[in-house]
Amino acid sequence: MLVLLLPTAEDEIVSFLIACPNCGPRSAYEFRSGGEYQRRPSGDAPDRAWAGYLYFRKNSAEEHIEWWYHSSGCRLWFLASRDTSTNRVTGTFWPEELKKRGPSPDAESPK
Amino acid sequence: MDRLDSHPVEVIDRSGRVSFQFDGRTVQAHPGDTVGSALLASGLRIFSRSFKYHRPRGLLCVSGNCPNCLMNVNGVPNVRVCTRPVEEGDQVVPQHCWPSLRWDAMALIEKVDFLLPVGFYYKTLYRARWLWKLAEPIVRRVAGLGRVDSSRSPAGHYEREHLFAEVAVVGGGPAGLAAAQAAAEAGAEVVLVDEQPELGGHLRFERAKLEDPISGETGEGFELARSLAEKVKNNERIRVLSPARAFGGYEGNLIGVALADRLVHLRADRLIVATGSFEFPGLFKNNDLPGIMLGSGVRKLLNLYRLKPGKRAVVVASNDEDLALALELHEAGISVVAAVDQRLESSDSALIRQLKQLQIPHLPCFAPVAARGRSDVRALEVAPVDAEGCLELDKSRSFPCDLVCISTGRSPSVELLRQNGGKVRFDPNLNQNVLDSIPSDFSAAGHINGLKDPALILLQGRIAGLEAAESMHPLGVDLKEQLQKLRDNLDQGRSDWRETVVPSVLFTTSSAVKQLVCLCEDVTRKDIDNAIAEGFDEMELLKRYTTSSMGPCQGRMCSMLVAGSCAQALDRDLTTPGTTTSRPPVHPVPLGVLAGPHHYPVKLTPMHHRHLEAGAHQMDLGEWKRPHTYTSSENEWEAVRKRVGIIDVTTLGKLEVQGRDAPQLLDLIYTHIFSTLKVGRIRYGVICGEDGIIVDDGTVSRIAEDHYYITTTTGNISFIESWMEWWAVVYGYCAHVTNVTGDFAAVNLAGPNARDVLSKLTDIDISSDAFKYMRFEQGEVAGIPSRLLRIGFVGETGWEIHVPSSYGEYLWDTLMEAGEEFGILPFGVETQRILRLEKQHLIVGQDTDALSNPLEAGMQWVVKFEKEDFIGKHFLDLVQSEGRRNRLVGFVTDELVKEGSAVVTAQTPVGRVTSARMSPILNRCVGMAWVPEELAEDGANFDISHHDSLVSAQVHQAPFYDPTGARLRE
Repeated sequence: MLVLLLPTAEDEIVSFLIACPNCGPRSAYEFRSGGEYQRRPSGDAPDRAWAGYLYFRKNSAEEHIEWWYHSSGCRLWFLASRDTSTNRVTGTFWPEELKKRGPSPDAESPK
Repeated sequence: MDRLDSHPVEVIDRSGRVSFQFDGRTVQAHPGDTVGSALLASGLRIFSRSFKYHRPRGLLCVSGNCPNCLMNVNGVPNVRVCTRPVEEGDQVVPQHCWPSLRWDAMALIEKVDFLLPVGFYYKTLYRARWLWKLAEPIVRRVAGLGRVDSSRSPAGHYEREHLFAEVAVVGGGPAGLAAAQAAAEAGAEVVLVDEQPELGGHLRFERAKLEDPISGETGEGFELARSLAEKVKNNERIRVLSPARAFGGYEGNLIGVALADRLVHLRADRLIVATGSFEFPGLFKNNDLPGIMLGSGVRKLLNLYRLKPGKRAVVVASNDEDLALALELHEAGISVVAAVDQRLESSDSALIRQLKQLQIPHLPCFAPVAARGRSDVRALEVAPVDAEGCLELDKSRSFPCDLVCISTGRSPSVELLRQNGGKVRFDPNLNQNVLDSIPSDFSAAGHINGLKDPALILLQGRIAGLEAAESMHPLGVDLKEQLQKLRDNLDQGRSDWRETVVPSVLFTTSSAVKQLVCLCEDVTRKDIDNAIAEGFDEMELLKRYTTSSMGPCQGRMCSMLVAGSCAQALDRDLTTPGTTTSRPPVHPVPLGVLAGPHHYPVKLTPMHHRHLEAGAHQMDLGEWKRPHTYTSSENEWEAVRKRVGIIDVTTLGKLEVQGRDAPQLLDLIYTHIFSTLKVGRIRYGVICGEDGIIVDDGTVSRIAEDHYYITTTTGNISFIESWMEWWAVVYGYCAHVTNVTGDFAAVNLAGPNARDVLSKLTDIDISSDAFKYMRFEQGEVAGIPSRLLRIGFVGETGWEIHVPSSYGEYLWDTLMEAGEEFGILPFGVETQRILRLEKQHLIVGQDTDALSNPLEAGMQWVVKFEKEDFIGKHFLDLVQSEGRRNRLVGFVTDELVKEGSAVVTAQTPVGRVTSARMSPILNRCVGMAWVPEELAEDGANFDISHHDSLVSAQVHQAPFYDPTGARLRE
């Protein structure tokens, strides 16, 4: 049941490094993936938006922003931009910085 | 077999003796021997039987590359005995043969090989499915490798290590040693990986006089190898993994290394690949007979182990180095009956003069056509090659011999580089594969680049080491100057870098059976030709269809032969077929090494040993050990209901949530409202997922305006912790979540006499008016700073007492002592389940599953739709508006039913039982079950399937015990 809520990275085979904004570069084994970054729909959003938020992911082969949790380390959540086709992590940052980066069209419009 | 005279190059210690068991007899060896060399010394010629046809096979490469010496050593199958050092008492058994290696009945399979064409399992056995059912057990028995002994338990046997290095060097030959030494000198932390029993690579059996271009040291090759290895081993900055196999290159400069039973994840900033090159055999009839060995393998046996692998030898060479082996054999007292030179023209006239002086017939421009012999080689037939590169079979000559030293060509070991993005191409001028591009952060040094001269190899290794270290540790003036000088030296020597192999006559013979292309999988030249004729004419397709290069050697022995056969059949040159994709593992790795250790963490509460002393039956709950029962659940039940009982609830997840926004965070996470909870009060709460499904439940106590103390279910704590942290981050709440599960030990003291027991130990006013139900207090119990929660999971007056875990055992002892006069008993999880079922308190995960929402679980009262927002609100709204379909209800039956039994109406299963126990108070079975909404009425009847019959059950909505909760509030 929990897997439905948060994808876990425990049985994924990944070998790249992720730079935790708090701890520095560490093996991806130390982290748990929190899935694609997406905006939570508002309470009065239509069912379709909620179903999309809950059950559908873009899952595209490109750079996107996703959540990571340093579960075997400092236990802090942060965001990472990662290219899913190469596994290259181009940056990691605290969620506050997402606002500074300016609105991303994907993140701002609920599906 | 007698050994040659002692020589400093040997690695065996003649004064020592080691003995081991081989196939029922004792074999003597010297320390330093490998199992393979000792067996050869004992006269063994046939080391294994081939994969499909059970053809006899003997030592071939003696480097741990080919599949010819796989045996079972001490119960471990598929060990390459040619590189496995001998240990006293080893139990070595041949594998994949019956009844013996010498006489293998399954070799008859070759007589019917016409029934087994390439891809026969796709063709012969495909149409008639029943045929495969018959054939499968036979095929599986006849074909294959060694068997895994499933009775051996690997538990706790394997390890895993994460290793970080600034510079990683793969390969412990001269280039690798020089590179590691240089990088360490420049200040880098180095890890060196080598797969042979000793460091030194091919220099270990090199007897030519050499000069180290860096230290100026001179000596025979093996002496230099030893002094280099010694320096590296004694260098504090270098960690040597040996014998260990780097089996794969992965993203992010990660190298997988199998070090005995340990998997090492080696990650490095810079990597130097100095894996050298490997020889592969040639193609002619019966090219796999025992006694046909690679030139480099023969040199190893002669020098390292001082063994004579034969008496009469034919040398088949394709360069001067191989040709010189004839001289070495002669010196060892082996008569060389012919030196066959596969090249169209020969170069070194001095060498040829020497051969002439020794009266060794030199046959330039000849190639082997066939080997004769049944269980080992007895003669080699060779034929001249004409100007077009065709064999003139009518002019063939036969040489009786018992040893053929064959050198067809060399290929660089580039797998690690290719797996990280490096490219390789076939160079038609050099007639070998060469590195085309090297991935960033990597460099290659030594033989892998085609270098031959040991001085140049050392030079290049040193340059690679300094360059790798330079990116992290700026070089001092001395080293900088030295690096520049070395580069100049290497530049000057660039002209004689690579040995130019004249195009050999590899592929001139006509297609014939019994030319084994792939030794691992018994793929013949004919199979390749047939596959190409059927249209599988790409290397990747050929590989998949014929399974060539899929065996233990992973294409080392065959990929060039397949490429050559393919090129010839299609009349192309070798640049076209290319190579197949290189994937990890490069070498076979035991699955246990990859699977890693079996570490099951176990958590014990501070009172664990008290439970054991009290004779508790333990059970596993997640990672925790908990008492199931101490005596019997009836006894314990009676103590709780009539006197007083105590249970260890330390395993509950415990969280502290603090901060200005803590109330808002909890209002978001829980379906209930906690911002309005008064300080000092407790409220039960349910956490749902965004889909409205119950994730967890527990109590929330408010310690201060900005401070809550939360309990969660035992197994869910780390998830709930990260879940709360995540939402705090998503909404930018000023709230901090701390997991304090291990910090607190907790017990639940419950029963009519609970107050009497507790009042003996505390000054807190615990009278029913002062300390009401669902209240929280902090104070001292038995002198211990405690948190007291007045809650009642089991339905009696009771307190959960949380104390710092170091006091857990003391608290337990004190409560047991204080309760003695009231007949206190400890109770286990099983008793607690009966008690809570009588109260119809659900357990998340037992009574709920991935489809259970709180509305259908009968907990509407915890869902506060009036809140603006909470996790799961939208989906619970939908359930609310569309109506509930199922309901979790309590029920009673006369007979004990099994948990998980189906709820049946009109002979259709419509729900299931989640919990059921005999209730001592009703003397009937009470339980909880999911039923359709229309059945969720007090008194409604339904059936439960039970042992092929139906048991009638009645819905009972209110708790069976103390329905008004009066006892809880007493």
